[in-house]
Amino acid sequence: MSASNEASNYEYVTTRAKSRRAALFDADDYRKLVRMGPGEIARFMEESEYEAEMNALGARYSGVDLIEYALNRNLAKHFNDLLRFAEGKLYDYIARYLRKFDAWNIKTVIRGVYADSERQEIEDDLIRAGELPPRTIDRLLEADSIEGIVERLDGTIYEDPLVAAYEDYEAAGVLVPLENAVDRAYYQLLLADVPAEPDRATRLYVEFLQAEIDFRNMRNALRLSRSGADIDPAEYYIPGGRLFSPTEIQGLVNNPDQLVERIRTSTYGDDLDRALDDLDAAGSLIEFELALERALLEYSGQLSNRYPLSVCPVLAYILAKEREVDNIRAIARGKEAGLTAEEIEEELVVQ
Amino acid sequence: MLEQFVMFVTSFAPLLQEGAASSPAIPPQAAAALAVGLAAFGAGYSQRGIGAAAVGAVAEDDSLFGRGLILTVLPETLVILALVTLFVAG
Repeated sequence: MSASNEASNYEYVTTRAKSRRAALFDADDYRKLVRMGPGEIARFMEESEYEAEMNALGARYSGVDLIEYALNRNLAKHFNDLLRFAEGKLYDYIARYLRKFDAWNIKTVIRGVYADSERQEIEDDLIRAGELPPRTIDRLLEADSIEGIVERLDGTIYEDPLVAAYEDYEAAGVLVPLENAVDRAYYQLLLADVPAEPDRATRLYVEFLQAEIDFRNMRNALRLSRSGADIDPAEYYIPGGRLFSPTEIQGLVNNPDQLVERIRTSTYGDDLDRALDDLDAAGSLIEFELALERALLEYSGQLSNRYPLSVCPVLAYILAKEREVDNIRAIARGKEAGLTAEEIEEELVVQ
Repeated sequence: MLEQFVMFVTSFAPLLQEGAASSPAIPPQAAAALAVGLAAFGAGYSQRGIGAAAVGAVAEDDSLFGRGLILTVLPETLVILALVTLFVAG
């Protein structure tokens, strides 16, 4: 499915992605959902797209956990479909972004083994949407030590960074170096081997990936400067973005006002203006992050309409699906915690 | 693939013109046949994209079968119009 000298089948994949994007829950469905209790939400989901997953997991879980695991499984199913459909360059572009689920799975397995969790528990937390074949992940789950996990990732892109980080882990006994290594392997490949002269849509996609890195750096910097923790920001810096250089970010973290000013004057300033005002007014990071998500979703939707035969519609679908899963999870968890419908509605990212 | 085809045609055209000076290198009927063939080629090329998209749509939603089929055969009109040249030249 993946040889990159094959021709891409944009027509087929984008039609399927667009059709699925159109079938996602809309604002009306969310309005209904926020007024339901957890039981009703589960019932609603059983009659929708999530039927198969709800039935498969229904015997083992109940309530909000059932909803959450069903959401993850459904997400994985759809994203795997995309990888299965795509050929050639398109596969490569999609896989780049979806590898973040591989990174998530590896981190989950490492954490699970570190905490001596049951295999079943770890397995249910995985989102099998990435590029790693299911067999590799099954073998990871069989590992009973962190060394075993590192060994089993032999030959994947995570091998070298993890082997290097394993020594740090043994010396310090904390998971941070390992998790950092996985994240870095992911981000490094995100922008590796980008075509030298991409067409307009591909260039936009690359810009989107760069924006993803910039936003991640932005979030990290804002969080660090809010929490006032004494951590070297350069350790968490991800190369490849266009906004910050590592030395710059170090100075900005200690000076939050300057940091906000820097973002405001950057290329993202226009889109994030409202979010930044909120941040100034309320000092709420959560609102800012939600505004980031909203801006991204809107932008990807525009790209999808403007460049129909490119990776953009697929990307728009991936983002919209991720938001749907986040939204439903927020509703279910919010209901469980007893929040009112208005409070939950503020947390949703609806297009 | 298209580029190769254009190269193929442009390398042939001068050769054909070198033929007998009195009669045209390509007689009218042969030219008409070529026109139909090229039109069919164009129709096929466009149907490749439309067909792939239509199959994708039908795989997601069965009720789109009729619409997908109609859109897929629309470029066929190219061939039908090209057949007119046969009657004009014939």
